[in-house]
Amino acid sequence: MNHSSVAITVTSGKGGVGKSTTVASLGLGLAQLGYKVCLVDTDIGLRKLDLMLGLENRIVYDLVDAVEGICKLRQALVRHKEFPELALLPAAQTRYKEEVSPAQVKAVVDELRNEFHFILIDSPAGIEGGFRNAIAAADRAILVVNPEIPSVRDSDRVIGLLEAAGIETIDLIVNRVQPGMVRDGDMLSVERVQSHLAINLLGIVPEDRRIIRSSNTGEPVILDPKSLAGKAFANIARRIKGEEVPFLELESATLITKIKRLFHIA
Amino acid sequence: MSFLNMFRPKEPPTAVRADDRLSLVLSYQRSNIDERKLKEFRSRLIELCDDFGYDVVGHVEVVPQSKERTTIINASIPVRLKEPG
Repeated sequence: MNHSSVAITVTSGKGGVGKSTTVASLGLGLAQLGYKVCLVDTDIGLRKLDLMLGLENRIVYDLVDAVEGICKLRQALVRHKEFPELALLPAAQTRYKEEVSPAQVKAVVDELRNEFHFILIDSPAGIEGGFRNAIAAADRAILVVNPEIPSVRDSDRVIGLLEAAGIETIDLIVNRVQPGMVRDGDMLSVERVQSHLAINLLGIVPEDRRIIRSSNTGEPVILDPKSLAGKAFANIARRIKGEEVPFLELESATLITKIKRLFHIA
Repeated sequence: MSFLNMFRPKEPPTAVRADDRLSLVLSYQRSNIDERKLKEFRSRLIELCDDFGYDVVGHVEVVPQSKERTTIINASIPVRLKEPG
């Protein structure tokens, strides 16, 4: 399987933009499509992916244990109960990022390539050691951006660092888009964000209250049939595997909205 | 309440301003330009004009702009030919 395995780092620069939410949902989305997927949490000291996937009570070993040889790599993998094609390599919660080197992470990911089609690496926020660990083994990267100035500026810096590291395929996900605010002229449009960053747009995910519910329950939003964000993530998973999927219509205008627009009051 | 809000004057939108600020910030970041560098750039341009026989007769403006992932440095230099002699 090694020859067809793809390692994708999901990164952002700025924290809080929805990286882990994205990794959890895309991982499940790809598993639902029949691929063997491993999610690697490199946010040592601040792990989150286990919570997002509802696997927090099943962790015995972690990434640092595997790197240090305390356990075999497959012992550290936690399989999802409902989707056995999906595995998680959790981050250590009581250690520090400096305790793992980029070369060690690369060795772990290279070993995972023998078993999995997709390895999604959840990067910590920032551009320090943890970020370097997360990109060490990446074939490509996905940049998660919110349509706001600090997020776009940090992302632009990250693009430069990814290119310098030799990662040429960098895709963009614009997350937490509020169509109403864009329409009112109070939020950067996806087109403007993409124009500034000048990389391929992989997906647009709307702000969705149901993401909080999914985080509370440990069931990624992609499993929620009522969630528009979940649908957006499902479409992104299909685009990752090479399908051409049109972007979602993020808002359907209600009768009231249409009337308000008619009178230029919305 | 939202019905009444429909008839209240709207606040001016802010996305355009965000877009302009972002353009400038990204231009500076991508080309690693800061005010000190721009000042030096301006003074060198004035020297260059002098070498080519021009007097600078106003404020020299040097503004970096981003297009795609390329930075374009726009310079506006008001000049006139030097008096002979």
